[in-house]
Amino acid sequence: MKPDPIPPSMEAIRLWSGVECPNEAARLGLADHIGLLKELEALRGTLAFEDEPSSFEAALRAEQEKEA
Amino acid sequence: MSALHELSMTEAADAVARGDVTATALVENCLARIAAHDGKVNSVIRLDRDSALEQAAAVDKARKAGKALGPLGGVPMMHKDMYYRAGKVSTCGSKIRRDFVPKVTATVLEKLDASGAIDMGTLNMAEFAQNPTGHNAHFGHCHNPWQHGYCTGGSSSGSGAGIAARFFYGALGSDTGGSIRLPATICGVTGIKGTQTRVSRAGVMPLSFSADNVGPLVQTARDAARFMRIISGHDPRDATSAREAVPDYEAALTGDLRGISVAVPQEYFFDGADDVVVKAFDAALDAMRERGATITRLSCPSLRAIAAYTAMISRAEGAAIHAEWMRERAADYSIHLSSRLYGGYPIPAHLYIEALSRRGPLLRQFCAEAMTRHHIVATPALRTRVPTLAETDIDADAANWSRFMAVSANTRPFNYLGLPTISVPCGFDDRGLPIGLQLAARPFAEARVLAVADAFQRVTDWHKRYPSL
Repeated sequence: MKPDPIPPSMEAIRLWSGVECPNEAARLGLADHIGLLKELEALRGTLAFEDEPSSFEAALRAEQEKEA
Repeated sequence: MSALHELSMTEAADAVARGDVTATALVENCLARIAAHDGKVNSVIRLDRDSALEQAAAVDKARKAGKALGPLGGVPMMHKDMYYRAGKVSTCGSKIRRDFVPKVTATVLEKLDASGAIDMGTLNMAEFAQNPTGHNAHFGHCHNPWQHGYCTGGSSSGSGAGIAARFFYGALGSDTGGSIRLPATICGVTGIKGTQTRVSRAGVMPLSFSADNVGPLVQTARDAARFMRIISGHDPRDATSAREAVPDYEAALTGDLRGISVAVPQEYFFDGADDVVVKAFDAALDAMRERGATITRLSCPSLRAIAAYTAMISRAEGAAIHAEWMRERAADYSIHLSSRLYGGYPIPAHLYIEALSRRGPLLRQFCAEAMTRHHIVATPALRTRVPTLAETDIDADAANWSRFMAVSANTRPFNYLGLPTISVPCGFDDRGLPIGLQLAARPFAEARVLAVADAFQRVTDWHKRYPSL
């Protein structure tokens, strides 16, 4: 069984941000991160952009409708 | 002329300009409706009754003297309580800022003042604009005017509920993950967020520097067009605001959909969708097709990455903005907010930076996938039927977490992409609550989404319906 990542996360938050876990819902919210971690894991190796780093604002201007 | 509360914002403005109705009559009618019905809805935080009547009297006097009125002359409005007006309390829906008095006035409020709109006060909202449902532990939950006990959508809860209840004609909301489009959808009104950077955020409470947007909730796409023209454009007080010219959006409302191509992504937006929502969405596509649009269902593989990165940016930025209060005053937040903010702290910096740095490339990729041959992307704005306040209440039961978070699944990606996106009513579910159609276009193509939404509203009447209170 994989170790529960929640207690180490709470300790890291306390260490880096000085913020204590405020309630049980917050603890459950951290557990919800496991879903996000899986999404990120699935993305690894699938994205390769040659124009990184890039400006989002420049992309907004560049991607305008040509005829608008 | 229709009953005063049935007028749209543009109809009300034009009626005042013609002299068919006075601004005072409009304000008095709004005040009477609020007095009669807001006890059930709870959309208002502060009502500036005397000030509203004074502003209306000044508009009527100016008109009588033959002076030209602004494009929103004499139209009563109220705004989400996070738009600062110097000297007036702006609670941001929170206990922490219950007595906060800003020293500056938001640029968007100054622009609305200059247009002749009447500011009647401030509206209920999610605490610090941080939830998609309309819960507020400090000022009381805002209730859906269509059915008590149901969500209004958030975070601009009072803006959506008040427009639906016909308490006023226009309201500012803000949208970081759907906070304009969700209350618009769930309350059965029209709401638009412009392209990221399109509208100034000076004097507006921040939630996420990268994803916050200012925009209106109104009855019709035409209302949204006039409203957006007034508030859009570069602002020297907001260095992030775009310098692109602001067109006359109302002039673009031709009602014609011939030659318009609509793309419907098949991934993501329909995951776990309720049948009644899908049916209403398909019927909306049929209505657009009958008006001349072509509909194409296609694949957008970039959506999975977009959805993952979207969640990270707003969580990390929200955590940064609230860090001091989370250390010193965590107990002064509602449970659902402190728990959401807490979730932002463990996000590694490199992933936040990755999410930001890939925003431009992913925007390019999404445009290539969905909008190379198509003008509009259409999706349901909310995948499911409107939930009740009880079944999404994290403060009452932490187990409601996943249902609460799911509410904004379909709106969030467009904040990451920064695209102009509108929600318009497109039906009702089996419990009599509204369903919304979401339309997005390329950057700075607000005119395109407004024109398509307006054309849709010319052949449907969902936007004209309002609840009996």
